[in-house]
Amino acid sequence: MSSDRVVRVWAEVGRQAEGNPMSVAHVCAAAVVGVGVDGAGVTVMVSPAVRDSVHATDHVAGELEEWQLTFGEGPCVDAFAVGGPVLVVDLGSPDFLARWPAFTPAALNSGVGALFALPVQVGAIRLGVLDLYRVRPGPLSPAELADALAFADAAGTLLFDEAGIRPTTVAVAGQGDDPTAHHAQVYQATGMLLVQLGSSAEAAFARLRAYAYAHDRRLGDVARDVVERRLRLRPDPPGDDDDGR
Amino acid sequence: MSERQLTEAFVELADTLVDDFDMMDFLHQVTVRCAQVLDVSAAGVLLTDQRGVLRVVAASTEQTRLLELLQLQTDEGPCPECFHTGRPIAVADLSTTTSRWPRFTAEARRSGFASVHALPMRLRTEVIGALNLFGVEPGALDENTIRLGQALADVATIGLLQARAIRHRETLAEQLQTALNSRIVIEQAKGVVAERRKIDVDQSFILLRSAARTSNRRLSELARAVIDGSAIV
Repeated sequence: MSSDRVVRVWAEVGRQAEGNPMSVAHVCAAAVVGVGVDGAGVTVMVSPAVRDSVHATDHVAGELEEWQLTFGEGPCVDAFAVGGPVLVVDLGSPDFLARWPAFTPAALNSGVGALFALPVQVGAIRLGVLDLYRVRPGPLSPAELADALAFADAAGTLLFDEAGIRPTTVAVAGQGDDPTAHHAQVYQATGMLLVQLGSSAEAAFARLRAYAYAHDRRLGDVARDVVERRLRLRPDPPGDDDDGR
Repeated sequence: MSERQLTEAFVELADTLVDDFDMMDFLHQVTVRCAQVLDVSAAGVLLTDQRGVLRVVAASTEQTRLLELLQLQTDEGPCPECFHTGRPIAVADLSTTTSRWPRFTAEARRSGFASVHALPMRLRTEVIGALNLFGVEPGALDENTIRLGQALADVATIGLLQARAIRHRETLAEQLQTALNSRIVIEQAKGVVAERRKIDVDQSFILLRSAARTSNRRLSELARAVIDGSAIV
């Protein structure tokens, strides 16, 4: 059920890539087709203040990212802050004008009727937001929403990829549905590594994954070693290869 | 269970349902109260994410072993069955379920449990999760206890929906996703505290929770602050 969805989503991203290395741009294009929306954009955010629009499929999606950057408000900003999806079924309803007084009129003026902002994240590790828009107001069906979240996951995986980790596509597709990826110990290990490395949660999780890939081990098994204090990682000076990379 | 204990449980939970409350702390309290009032050894709350997969959000004891046992039910076990049918599942004796749920049964018995129940968490017609109850002795819970358990499951559902009024399915999705992410954040914060204090992760939840209480902060908010370094526990 859920593994079908992961495979389907990655297949769509692969189709868009047409044999080239997959990127966030392909995820956006695939989400437009796969979810059935008019446009998509991804913004990478380090904090609500530090952000960068990575890709937008069309002019309107680009404007949406721009407005939110300019005004510092909007569904994407909220999705990032809250860590959950923000689904704007009808941007024209008065609720949203009250919620985002500057963003809403600008977005309506760009011709946006409905807007769905999905955080790209793993727990506290927030990478950014995937924004999907439709000209016509109306909700995403449960299946469309599930697909949209799977595309957000795909964007997250590829953003990690750009950060220097290059898992194979097969491993990535497997990881998306790997139950161990949701296990408590993976998150606990991330917290422990954050202290060992003196790094952010993002970097700690990236190191955990990098270690698992480099040693051809399951993420859950490596996490268990960290939590049970059989494995420690050192801060990563240039050229240090204690994690085998 | 005495009637006084029961009344106390509901009053305490109702008291928590004020405007500004912490969902994770509340769900943890629900599971602790379930274990006490229903006289089971452990309880857990699982909610569905948008991919239709059940995820752990709270447990009566935050031991990793129990969390992992609860989480094992992504594909098999009483919770997925309860979730899909919308009906309570009662297993009086876990020695009879080896062929039904091989992995879950083996792990549950290894953890010392002999019986298990699952009660649906319902919002109108929609099932959003399940309450899982474990006993160390074989035996089914009696009808009265099941009814009480269901009442506590309903309180948990109400609590979940309290933070923001639920008008649309979409808002519910936001709420569930936020709860599931808070769960992950708490696990990460447990790791941070365990590493700093040289204690095990199971002990660090107790520290986190009491620090949240003492400083009058939300558990999930404190957990985030511990991760980004703006709070030290």
